[in-house]
Amino acid sequence: MKHQLKKQPRFSKTGMTLLLVASVLVLPLASLNAAAAGVKLPRLSNGKPDFSGIWQTTSAADYDLEPHSNRKDAPPGPGIVEGNVIPYLPKALEQKKKNFEARETDDPRTKGWTLGVPRGIYYPEPFQIFQRANDLNIVHQFGHSVRTVYTNGSEHPEDPWDWWLGDSRGHWEGDTLIVDVRHFNDKTWFDRAGNYHSDALHVIERWKYLDPNTIEYKATIEDPNVFSRPWEVSVILNRHREQNFQLIEDYRFTLDYDDAYPPKPDKQ
Amino acid sequence: MKHRMSHRQLAALSLILGAIVIAPIVGTAAEATKAQSAKTGQEQQPAPTQPRANPGIEQEKTVPQIASGKWAGKRLPDGQPDVQGHWSNTIANHNNFTDPQGGIPGDPAPRRRPLPPRDERAPSRVSDPADGQVPFQPWALEKVKEFQANFHNPVKPQYVEPLARCAPGGIPKSLYWHGYEIAQYPGYVVFFFNSGTRIIHLDGKPHLPDNIKLWNGDSRGHWEGNTLVVDVSNQNGKALFGRTGEFISENGHIQEKYIFSPDATRYNYEAVLTDPTVYTRPFTVTIPARKWTEKDAANGWHFEVEHAKHSGKNILLDHYERTCAENNGGFGLGAVEAKK
Repeated sequence: MKHQLKKQPRFSKTGMTLLLVASVLVLPLASLNAAAAGVKLPRLSNGKPDFSGIWQTTSAADYDLEPHSNRKDAPPGPGIVEGNVIPYLPKALEQKKKNFEARETDDPRTKGWTLGVPRGIYYPEPFQIFQRANDLNIVHQFGHSVRTVYTNGSEHPEDPWDWWLGDSRGHWEGDTLIVDVRHFNDKTWFDRAGNYHSDALHVIERWKYLDPNTIEYKATIEDPNVFSRPWEVSVILNRHREQNFQLIEDYRFTLDYDDAYPPKPDKQ
Repeated sequence: MKHRMSHRQLAALSLILGAIVIAPIVGTAAEATKAQSAKTGQEQQPAPTQPRANPGIEQEKTVPQIASGKWAGKRLPDGQPDVQGHWSNTIANHNNFTDPQGGIPGDPAPRRRPLPPRDERAPSRVSDPADGQVPFQPWALEKVKEFQANFHNPVKPQYVEPLARCAPGGIPKSLYWHGYEIAQYPGYVVFFFNSGTRIIHLDGKPHLPDNIKLWNGDSRGHWEGNTLVVDVSNQNGKALFGRTGEFISENGHIQEKYIFSPDATRYNYEAVLTDPTVYTRPFTVTIPARKWTEKDAANGWHFEVEHAKHSGKNILLDHYERTCAENNGGFGLGAVEAKK
């Protein structure tokens, strides 16, 4: 899907005609233009968009970022990669194919490991954003792992550790939150199909409200050890609005041993 | 590529190698060394033979009095008392629940310093009953003794303290492990622990259905003056209270009070634990805590922050990722990687 947000036509007398002629095209554009059209977005007291809330995509991206037919362990999906194909270097493509063959056992998700970036965002479990002026804390239900996005003007540390979720530094361009994420380890995958990266991964995220209950999330992914050029994914995130909805902790990496606790009375 | 070697990873490896006896000492020392070396320009690492200028984990021996009452301090725009920031308990870690500064019972590792008499150590975290002991039913007390007897050579999974596997610390243990951050948002107080996250809901929604059981339970809170009052249900009872093995079960209920001092530099945690299947009566746990700010030096246990890189002159604090990476794969990433 091509995004043409910067070239949207202003609504005018032609608006009605467009609605009649091509309502399918125009309606999404109108909603994309929610902020400009005067729809009130949630905002912090400093005026920045407030993404606080519980979010989840309806996309099947986590099964396979690329377009794919149905298979026993995945529904079909159109993929979320701009241009459809992830530009692997030849050797890395071989590794990806090996990963795919071994996906049932080698996908870090199956071990309950932290999902990484951007996978945690389009993984089919909710995550909650807790936002203040100086930071956003993203709590993923899966593993209850926490990523802090600093929006206090600070920069990446100079010689840091490798992290599962990288080091996230954000800034605002208008109402879009741009997050630069670096310093990853190489232990996470992008999806269940074995798409992967090295510890040279660099992700640039763009978070933007389409309307008060919908976020457009885009991520540019680059990794010179694995890909021949940067590539982009895009998903829509929907706000959970069910009554009393909440995250339910999912520390699934404990499931292999937690039957040992707590002590129980001896059987009579 | 750099990898963090924390005391948890060392502890896990030590377990695997059977070198269990040295794990707590190695862990603490490694933790301190790591923090000191990670912090450039800081040259305060004490030699083991010198008296410590920094009191380390055991900052204090007593519990200050903080009365419940009105809140006259700073408030957030949503009206909550502003208690945000980095906090940690002042007494001890999770080595010993009822004799917090008494070390792990039966520890075969030699002490670096002689243990002072009991009345010169901090009181039990059990503040009621007066004897400082958990009022266990006989069967449960036997299980605790069994855990303690096997802790240093855990031949069965149930003798491994689950935090050593990066399981969430649970309640109340999370409050006397490493330092943690309290963050507040409209409708929420959130605790970011190194091992687990607690989201306390302030909106009065009902608890989760009874059959859902969680490491940190399900928390509903409200403010009464200077006191955050929290009702915790849906415990899974798995976390244990420390290396001494005390526990609550999935039938337990916890009522917590976080009583903050007027200047928001201290709070006392007072929790009543009830469990008709494990205890003979409800009992009270008291844990004092203090706040750590950018005026304090990072210390590798209570206050694990870095100074952020930025162009301004003020100090901005970074807290690096809390993912328990080394044990992120069940019994331990160390173990997982060793298989290769």
